[in-house]
Amino acid sequence: MINRKLLWLFMLPGILLYTGLFVYPALSGLFYSFTNWDGVSPSYDFVGVANYKDSFDSITFRKAFMNNIKFMIVVVVLQTVISLVLALVLAKNSRTHVVFRALYFFPAILSSVSVGLIWSFIYDPSIGLLNMSLQSAGLDSLMGSWTGDAKIALYAIAFVQIWAHAGQMMIIFIAGLHAIPGELMEAARIDGANRMQIFGRITWPLLAPSAAIVISYTTIQSFKAFDLIFVMTDGGPNYATEILTTYIYHLAFSNYSFGLASAGSMIFLVLLGILTFFQFRALRQEGARG
Amino acid sequence: MKTQRTRLALLLVMVLALTGVLSACGGGSDQAANGKVTISFLHWRGEDTQTFQKIIDAFEQKNPNIVVDMQTLTSDQYQTTAQAKLTDGSVGDVFASFPGAQFEALAKAGLFTDLTGESLLKNYNANLIEAGSKDGKQWAVPYQLVYNMPIYNKAIFEQYGLTPPKDWDGFLKACQTLKDNGIIPIAFAGGDIGPGQFMNTMVMNNEPSEDIFTKVESGQAKLTDEFWVKTLTQFKELNDKGYFQPNSLGTKDPAAGALFIQGKAAMLASGSYQLSQNAKQNPELQQGLLAPITVSADQAKYEGVHTSTFMLAVNSRSKHPEEAKKFLEFLSQPDIAAQYANETGQNVTLKDIKYDSKELNIAQEWADKKTLFQPRYTIVNAENQKAVTNSIQAVLGGATPEQAAQDAQAIIDQQIGR
Repeated sequence: MINRKLLWLFMLPGILLYTGLFVYPALSGLFYSFTNWDGVSPSYDFVGVANYKDSFDSITFRKAFMNNIKFMIVVVVLQTVISLVLALVLAKNSRTHVVFRALYFFPAILSSVSVGLIWSFIYDPSIGLLNMSLQSAGLDSLMGSWTGDAKIALYAIAFVQIWAHAGQMMIIFIAGLHAIPGELMEAARIDGANRMQIFGRITWPLLAPSAAIVISYTTIQSFKAFDLIFVMTDGGPNYATEILTTYIYHLAFSNYSFGLASAGSMIFLVLLGILTFFQFRALRQEGARG
Repeated sequence: MKTQRTRLALLLVMVLALTGVLSACGGGSDQAANGKVTISFLHWRGEDTQTFQKIIDAFEQKNPNIVVDMQTLTSDQYQTTAQAKLTDGSVGDVFASFPGAQFEALAKAGLFTDLTGESLLKNYNANLIEAGSKDGKQWAVPYQLVYNMPIYNKAIFEQYGLTPPKDWDGFLKACQTLKDNGIIPIAFAGGDIGPGQFMNTMVMNNEPSEDIFTKVESGQAKLTDEFWVKTLTQFKELNDKGYFQPNSLGTKDPAAGALFIQGKAAMLASGSYQLSQNAKQNPELQQGLLAPITVSADQAKYEGVHTSTFMLAVNSRSKHPEEAKKFLEFLSQPDIAAQYANETGQNVTLKDIKYDSKELNIAQEWADKKTLFQPRYTIVNAENQKAVTNSIQAVLGGATPEQAAQDAQAIIDQQIGR
């Protein structure tokens, strides 16, 4: 019995940290989401669920939500495919492969603010590296206003997100590939299976747990992307890259609408919760199968 | 085991002792034992602390019984936390406030001391400190002055025989001349600060009133009205005729600035705050300020747009209002303000200031002209402000002025409904 109590003691630091840094802010956010607090005044009024109603009605909130979904889908699909291809190409432990792996992983160690600033310069329409290179290659027709055109700005940022994180996901895939027993491949090859068959019947099914991790991680990561967009476009042009996190930020810190922003955060929390729930279920199923 | 426990105990004692010391430091100590009064000066200009410290030293020498304790926050922090700090009266006996939303919030909270009739006001240019008055009383004095108007390259203008145009046709003609000669007429940072800066001079004569956006925010006027649709149409005209650099919406402030500094563009749609930065990068540059006049010459009411900010005030909760006022009076002396202006490269709102640098004098020329307080700053709600500047981006991105105005008005209508 005494041992049990002692065990609780060991959990105390963790519980305290978690309560202080996560549970308390989340609960106070929930509390303020029912008020019209402006973030600075000592007083506020309770407004019931008005903030939630206003959020769902808000034109900007809807735009931000749709942008979030688009951004997420593009990043999840492309990042998973690209990192998988990279992993398949670089799976062998040769010296060049290790060098390339390190190179592709490199963007992941940069802070996303630096990544955003670097790419802002690359994307600049007049003095940017991308348009200048296209021009000197004679591809003037491909030159574009990468972050300035409302139709492509979101995808231009999605590309940067993928550039920065595909290498990281590649490492997870490579670890998964290394865990596949070599005998299986060998047996398949002896039986006369071609490359596509080996990939379809052996590599991919055995890689499924890694894929589940990559997809779930990428989904959450891209859903709550903030820093890249904040640095590169701050939601512009004309709301084209406004996503939920930047929407909440703008409400709270440039509009002093903490109540409304809290309601936005709560909706965001629920959305993330739902996403995570489904992913954990998928992961567990994959785990059970594997 | 035992030594370990003693060590732990010792550590605990040390931590406790340290906490005690720290909390003692945090306590208010405004009336020191030696009879000196300490007042606190709270603002957000971290880059000006060196200059302010010199001014404070001079002040303390003159007033040996007053100590000024300066505290700065970053401007972001200042927007969010200043009010809470000011409310309990422990800091910010003298403090600075932003015009617009923060000024309104602080005034509503009753944190300003009425300065109406104080002799220090005589040192200021009356037209430029209106942003600090409300309900006929002067609550704060704006100290810094910025002109939110395009900068132009005088040498390029001279080369093609151009002078700052007096009406819209003249402006278009000048742009065409520049374009025909392979010069970008206007470098425009459409990706960030451009719309918010350029809209001010573009709208000032289309609706020559100080409170048009106040009316928009209260629902008495709409963005779909003539004045804003016309402004958007003129933005579109400039864009369609190729008077901005290509892909202006993807261009950010530094890149637009570079085009101007390198002499590739004849105008830069930003503000006077950029003058000294430009001069630093290209000392040969001959700069001036101009504003597009969007109407015919006889209908033009305003010549330009100014923003007065860094509004100094005395906290109504201050325990030492007399000493605080004395410090404010000191800052309002022309020689002290001149020292501040010349050392920091900022124009000030005071009269008869001798500026050392060429760049500060360029802006000074505008002190006697008819300028309007920055219209964008009169939009108090940040979501509305964004809707307004985004409608400009929408037009530049291909939307019709009517559609863009309608979309922006829809967002403002929601704000009014709240």
